[in-house]
Amino acid sequence: MDYVVRADRLKFYAMSPLRRFALALLSLGAISIAADAGSAQTSPTKTLDDYKHFRVLAIDLAGRAPTREEVTSFEQPAFNVDGWIDQHLTGPAYVERMTRIYMDLLRLEPNLNFSAAPAQLYRTDVNGPDGKPIHVFYRSGQRRTREATDGEFCLSPEETGQVIRPMAAPIGAAINVTKKILDQYTVVVKPWWLYRDYKEKSPTQLYGKGWANPDPDYRPVEALLNEADGKTPTTEVRVCREEAGTEAVGHIYTSGRVKNVAATPDPNVKPKYAGGRVKPAPLDKPYAIAHKNEAVPCDGKMGLDYAPTCGCGIGLERCAPNSGNGETPAFYYPNHMPLGPGMPLDDVRQSALRWYPYWWSREAVHFINYLFDQDRDFREILTGRETVINGPLTQFYKNIQRGNCCGPEVGFGMLEEREPLFEPKNVPDLEPQDVGTWKVVPDRGARAAGILTTPMFLEKYASARARGAALYNAFLCKNFNAEKTQLTPSDNPNLMQRPGCQNCHATLEPLAAYFARVEPNSFVFLPAAEFPARNATCKKDKNGHLNGTCNPLYDVAFADNTGAMLRSAYGSPEHADAAPAGAAQDITKMPEFASCAVERVTSSFLGRPTTPDDEALLASLTSDFVKSGYRMRELVKNIVKSSSYRKANNLSSTSWRGGQ
Amino acid sequence: MSTAANTKYLLICSVFSIAACAAHSPEIVPASSPEALRVTATTAADTAPKEDLRMVPPEAYMRTYLTLFGGLVPVEAQKRARGGDGAALFDTWDDYVSALGFPDYRLDVPRQTQTNALMVAAFERLGVALCDRTLEHDLKSKKPVPMNQRLVFAFDIPRAPASLDQKAFTPKFDLMHRTFLGYPAQLAPPDREARFFKLYSETVADHAKDDPKSRFSPEEEGWATVCYAFVRHPEFHLY
Repeated sequence: MDYVVRADRLKFYAMSPLRRFALALLSLGAISIAADAGSAQTSPTKTLDDYKHFRVLAIDLAGRAPTREEVTSFEQPAFNVDGWIDQHLTGPAYVERMTRIYMDLLRLEPNLNFSAAPAQLYRTDVNGPDGKPIHVFYRSGQRRTREATDGEFCLSPEETGQVIRPMAAPIGAAINVTKKILDQYTVVVKPWWLYRDYKEKSPTQLYGKGWANPDPDYRPVEALLNEADGKTPTTEVRVCREEAGTEAVGHIYTSGRVKNVAATPDPNVKPKYAGGRVKPAPLDKPYAIAHKNEAVPCDGKMGLDYAPTCGCGIGLERCAPNSGNGETPAFYYPNHMPLGPGMPLDDVRQSALRWYPYWWSREAVHFINYLFDQDRDFREILTGRETVINGPLTQFYKNIQRGNCCGPEVGFGMLEEREPLFEPKNVPDLEPQDVGTWKVVPDRGARAAGILTTPMFLEKYASARARGAALYNAFLCKNFNAEKTQLTPSDNPNLMQRPGCQNCHATLEPLAAYFARVEPNSFVFLPAAEFPARNATCKKDKNGHLNGTCNPLYDVAFADNTGAMLRSAYGSPEHADAAPAGAAQDITKMPEFASCAVERVTSSFLGRPTTPDDEALLASLTSDFVKSGYRMRELVKNIVKSSSYRKANNLSSTSWRGGQ
Repeated sequence: MSTAANTKYLLICSVFSIAACAAHSPEIVPASSPEALRVTATTAADTAPKEDLRMVPPEAYMRTYLTLFGGLVPVEAQKRARGGDGAALFDTWDDYVSALGFPDYRLDVPRQTQTNALMVAAFERLGVALCDRTLEHDLKSKKPVPMNQRLVFAFDIPRAPASLDQKAFTPKFDLMHRTFLGYPAQLAPPDREARFFKLYSETVADHAKDDPKSRFSPEEEGWATVCYAFVRHPEFHLY
């Protein structure tokens, strides 16, 4: 299902006022008006309160004050306020207005970088055979079979004259790299950020040449479009040979190095390592020795850590480019767009590390927009398995996300995500450059739970407690307020029992438990099969410690000699197994869910917090909201047609009149 | 009266007062029957909770601003407002975005719901840019702009020294009143038009007599000033 139709509606705002007005008139049934600027008749039937009411409606539902043409239209006897309301309840301004309520609450924009190690391609310069600089892309930590470069840049210091590492200036004086070395250890590739048809054997559709009608909002920075001389257009990129690998599956590599051997036993002599490298090559990890030659997926972290044949895939699609040897600009996109993507306030060069977080935020907004635009059952904000994504997000969910896993999970036998929150097979086919095409994905998978399992929510609220508290506040209208209780010393790790803490934590810990299966600062899902809430294999040793495999994921504070509890699960192991989808089901069944949604929206439209005096109104609105199947459009219609809305903010009718 | 006489007078008064109190037994108020109070009149009471006027959300303010500017997208409006004349009327939206009260979700900065000095200063600056640039568009274009394509000043002003006549002022003022405040000037407080006319007249007169180096004629400056007054009017910013 394409979401493009709705995205186009944003262009409504870019039309001239006359055109918008004409459209509005057409939809209202062609009311004839006197647009003559000189005709300033006052409608005999309209009072100041009527005009004021219309202005409030326009600000709330059209997203701006009425134009003078609209005021003239309003003055016509045939003008139908209810019809105007109904029409604007399907408009983009209504959608934006509603989304704003929940964005103000959840603040789903990133102040973070996403740097899944396998996804980052850094770019450095080496001197080519003719002495001219050449860009070469590489990954940090890439395994290579050559000891001189294993885990480092693919050309050794002896070959380039420099020690090249990401996020640091090269050390040493550059020498010319011979053509033989260059051809042996690097290759040229036509990457996804330059070629629309990068998946073809011989791509021809180059950005700026041959690529017809690229998305206007897809804009790589100039530094990615030009060679090192700053002038010559880049038509292909040079990349380390291993990074150019396109295999889907690699094999665990062992070098045979199990112990560091310095080049000289004399501690006063600076050790020499192969190829002039300044640090010794990585040793074989116990896991690699135990699983030598076993297959590992190339799109995950295992591929980077263990398999030299695992690279960035076809057209480097599993990686995102930096235009330098660190966090450097990659694409243009806005810093600020409070009026939506059709109306950015700027367009600036942004780091590749922010590229995907930026799109996570857009996904969250599009998802909420979709619910309001399509007037879906509002419970879907928590329970919905659908989402709305574009090209960069398809690339993220298919390729990049998988690089986030697996680290500590490997010790439990999980080499790649078994039960991702968004099943890659459900990701639609879009190209990474399709930034303006948004598609509704009807089903992300069994573990999806509305906004709760989007990367943006999970990264914004990085810990299980933060996630639980956000849920409690935004969707149940409740807060955690500490009691005035003196905190007494206690060694009880159970905060649901500890005096002074229990007031909040008796509620918070069970809520947090719903998120115990989604790793903190991440969105890797920990399946119950590999990670039972209580794990009998994770026992305390005689020193009271958990072993290194268990420690990152299991909580030593809730462990004994029979097993340990998954971190954040102790508040309710049942909730941990229910996961975010269970939280969504449980929360939306609570009566407070509907009343909270009604209170939030009513308060927003009345422009003030609701009070006990609003009880009858809220009860009536809540009842109708539930009867309507949790449809927001019905709720808002009931609010804006209520006398309370019309009377809201009228305390100072004298001051309204008093403004001179 | 001497001190001795004064004392004697107070003493006599005290004696009479005590005697009067002693003469009365304590008053007994009988219990009344628990009947409801008699209804003497009925009047409707508006029990709806009341709040003061609220600030127009920054999103709505900016959309209104852009609409007044001819329905431009922000980047284009910024370009238009900055102009090429070095007048420094406008900086960039990025400079104003937080001052206007927009939330910053990235930094968890909530939206502002009340004005502050910086916000009012931003309104002022944006308003002046809007008024000056739309006046240039509507009234000073080399090729006259058709009335139905004018943004704010949808009327003509005399080229010759203005006749400072309130009767001629009224329809133009009403048009701007509708443009910015959304209702006819007739429904405004009765002295509003007179106050605006005074502002207009004084501006025109001052501008003419001082011979300032200005892009605007005295009449244009007069209407620009009326426009400034509207874009800073509380009714424009509240609802």
